[in-house]
Amino acid sequence: MQANSANMDFLVGSMEILQGMPAIPSLSVFSDLAVNFLEDLSRELINDKNARAYSDVISFAYWIRRASLEKAKTMMTDGRCRIGRGVALHIAPSNVPVNFAVTMTYSLLSGNCTVIRVSSKPFEQIAIICRALNKLLSGAFSSLIPYVCVVRYEHSDEITAELSAMCDVRVVWGGNRTIAQIRKASLPPRAIELTFSDRHSIAIINSDEYLKRDPEKTAKDFYTDTYYTDQNACSSPRLVVWTGSCVSEARERFWSYLDRLVKQDYNLRPIQSVDKLLSLCLLSASGQSARLVSSDNYVVRVEVDHLSPELMNYKDSGGYFFEYTAKDINEIVPVLTKSCQTITVLGIPYKDVTDVVVNNGTKGVDRIVPMGMAMGIEYIWDGFDMISSMSRIVYFPQ
Amino acid sequence: MIDDFNSIPPYSLAKAEKEAMLLKEIKERIAFHRENCKEYNNILNTLNYSNENCTQLSQVPFLPVRIFKEMSLKSIPDEQVFKIMTSSGTTTQVASKIYLNKQNALLQQKILLHLLGDFVGKKRMPMLVIDTKEIIKNRKLFTSRGATVMGLEFAARNMVFALDENMRLDADVVSDFLDKYGQNDFLIFGLTFMVWKHLYDAIEERNLSFDLSNGYLLTGGGWKKLVEQAVSSEEFKQRGKKLCNLNRYVDHYGMAEQSGSIFPECPCGHLHASIYSDVITRRFEDFSPCEIGEPGIIQVISVVPHSYPGNSLLTEDMGVILGEDDCPCGRKGKYIKILGRIKSAEIRGCSDTYASKFS
Repeated sequence: MQANSANMDFLVGSMEILQGMPAIPSLSVFSDLAVNFLEDLSRELINDKNARAYSDVISFAYWIRRASLEKAKTMMTDGRCRIGRGVALHIAPSNVPVNFAVTMTYSLLSGNCTVIRVSSKPFEQIAIICRALNKLLSGAFSSLIPYVCVVRYEHSDEITAELSAMCDVRVVWGGNRTIAQIRKASLPPRAIELTFSDRHSIAIINSDEYLKRDPEKTAKDFYTDTYYTDQNACSSPRLVVWTGSCVSEARERFWSYLDRLVKQDYNLRPIQSVDKLLSLCLLSASGQSARLVSSDNYVVRVEVDHLSPELMNYKDSGGYFFEYTAKDINEIVPVLTKSCQTITVLGIPYKDVTDVVVNNGTKGVDRIVPMGMAMGIEYIWDGFDMISSMSRIVYFPQ
Repeated sequence: MIDDFNSIPPYSLAKAEKEAMLLKEIKERIAFHRENCKEYNNILNTLNYSNENCTQLSQVPFLPVRIFKEMSLKSIPDEQVFKIMTSSGTTTQVASKIYLNKQNALLQQKILLHLLGDFVGKKRMPMLVIDTKEIIKNRKLFTSRGATVMGLEFAARNMVFALDENMRLDADVVSDFLDKYGQNDFLIFGLTFMVWKHLYDAIEERNLSFDLSNGYLLTGGGWKKLVEQAVSSEEFKQRGKKLCNLNRYVDHYGMAEQSGSIFPECPCGHLHASIYSDVITRRFEDFSPCEIGEPGIIQVISVVPHSYPGNSLLTEDMGVILGEDDCPCGRKGKYIKILGRIKSAEIRGCSDTYASKFS
C-alpha cells in the first residue's frame, strides 16, 4: 500500500493494521472470539438509542444475537476442519447502508481478516455501527483489532488494485457495473471472488390460499418486500404471478389493500411517476403485448399475456409490477433466467418451485421465501453458502 | 391542415376556438404516427388509446420526453431522414435523437419565425450570435443549439458569430457589427449561460464598452447552469443593462423534441403558448391535470412534429399555468412559469449509484 493510500479514510482500523493483515493468523470458522464479539456488537446496537430510528440496524443486531449465531453454527458443524482463507476484501454497495456489516459478519465468522470499503454516502447507519465496533475493539476485544478495517475512498483504480493484490477473498456487492470496474484489478493466483450482480425477483401467489389469509397482514408483508426498499432491492418482486381458481377476486382484494397502505405510508416522488411511464412505454414499444390496469402512479400494474426472458429488461422500481395469471406453474420458466434471484411465495409449497427449477434446469432462482421475508438476511445468499465460500476446508478422510 | 395555422396571428385564438383547431390537428398527427411508427402504435395500444374517444386535449396521450434518449422513434422511412437533431446534452450524458425530414425541418423554422415575429417584429434584422461558427458546421448531426441558430438564419440578415473557435469573445467582430448595424434594431442570440459567461464576463474582465441598446437579446435554454450559480433572471437582465445597455430580452421555453413551437417570454415575464402548441400541468400522483396556479409536471403539445411521434410529451420540468387568454400583454392562450427540473430520486436498493461515478 503506497500510492494514493493517503486518500483512504479509516472508519475502523488504521493503515498500519491494514498493512499487517497478510501476516495475521486466520481464525477457525465460528471462532469463539468472533462469536463473542458479534454477540456484544448485537447488545451494543440494541441498547444504542441512536440506532432505534433505523430498523435496518436493529434487524442486523437481532440477526447477530448469540442464539441466532449458535443456530447458524450448527449448520457448519459437520466434523470438517474449516478455517479462514486469509484477507477478505469487501466492496459494499452504496445504497444499502447495513450491507457492509452483514458482509463483515460472514467474513469474521469465516475466520478472515476483513477489509470493507463502504459507500462514500454519509449514512448514519454506517456511523452508528462503526462507533459500536470501535468501542468494542478499544475495550474487551483488543485481540480482534488486527482483523477489522472499514475504509472509505473516492473511487480509485489504484487503491482497489492495491487492496486486491493483498486479498485471498474478494466480495463485490453493488451490481454489474461495479463488478466490471472492480474486476479490472487482478487477484493473486489463489484468491477467490464472490460477486453479487444485478438480479430480479418475482412473487407467486395462490389465489385460493390468499383469500383464506388476513389481507391486511399480506399487504404489509408485500409492502416490506417491495416499497420498503423502493422495490429496488435484488430480492424485491417485480412480477406477481397468480395461480389457483379465484384469481380475479384475489387480485382485486390484494391490490386494493396494498393501494391503501402505499398511499398512507409511501413517499412517492414525481420522478418515479415519470420513470414508470417511461418503463411502460419502452416495454410496449418493444412489442410485448401489455395492458396498463392501474389508474394512478402509486401502484402501477402492467398485465402481460405471456412471459418472455426479455420482460425483466423492462422492470422498474418504486411500485411498478408486471402481473401474469398462470394455469400451470411451469409457465414461469421463461423469466427464471440467470438474473432471477428470489421467488417470494404465498400459498405455494417450496417443493413446487424447486421442482420447476430442477425439472427445467433453469439458470436462475437461488432462493424461495415466504412473502414478507424477501429482505431477510441469511447465511445462504445468491446461491452461495457464505461461510463455506469465504473459508477453506482442511481435508482429511472421515 | 397546418397551413390553416400559418395564416392566423399566432396568439390570436381564445380557448374554445384554439382547442378545437389544435385537437383536430393533433388527432391527425396521432393517426399518421400510429400508422407509420410501429413502436408508437404499440404504446398507444398498451395505453388503450383511441382517437374516437378523445374529445379534449387533456385526453391526448403523452410520451415521456426521455423516451427519445432511450430509443429511435420515427414515422418516416430511413431514406427520407434529412437530419437528426440531438438535444444539447449539456447537462445529461445521453442526447435525444430527433429524426427530421425536409418538410418537418422547414416547418420548424417557419413556425419559429412566425412566433418570434410577434415579439421582435417581422422585418429581417442582422443578428449577433453569442456562440462560435463551429456549432453549425456539422449539419447532418447537430444540436438544438445549432438548430435554433439555423432556424434564425432565415430571420436574420447577416448572421455574425461573436466567439472564436476557443469560445473567446472577438471584440473586433462585435465592434464592426455595431458600427455597421448598431443604429437600428438588431438581434442577439445566445444561451443564457453563454451570454453570461462569454459576453458579460468578457466585457467586464476586458473592460470593453459596447452599446447594445438597439438589440433584442433572444435567449433560451442554458438556465440550469446559471441556476447552479444562483443567478436569477432579474440579475441576468440587470447585469446586461449595466454592462452594455441591453434592455430588450426575449427568453423562451422549448426543447429539441418540439423545436419550432417555442414558448417565448413577453415583457410581463410570462412564457406564452401559441396556437401551435398547448401546455398542461399534471399531478404526479395520477397525472390528472392541475388547476391554473397549481404546480405540476409540464406536458407540452405541439402540431409541429410530423416525422416523429413527438406531438404530446411529458417533460421532466415542473411548472405552473399562470392564466389563460388574459395576460396583460394581450396575447391569447395559456401563459406559464417554469419552476425547475423534477428532482432525481435517491433510490434505495442493491443496484448501485456508486457505479455511476465510474462512467
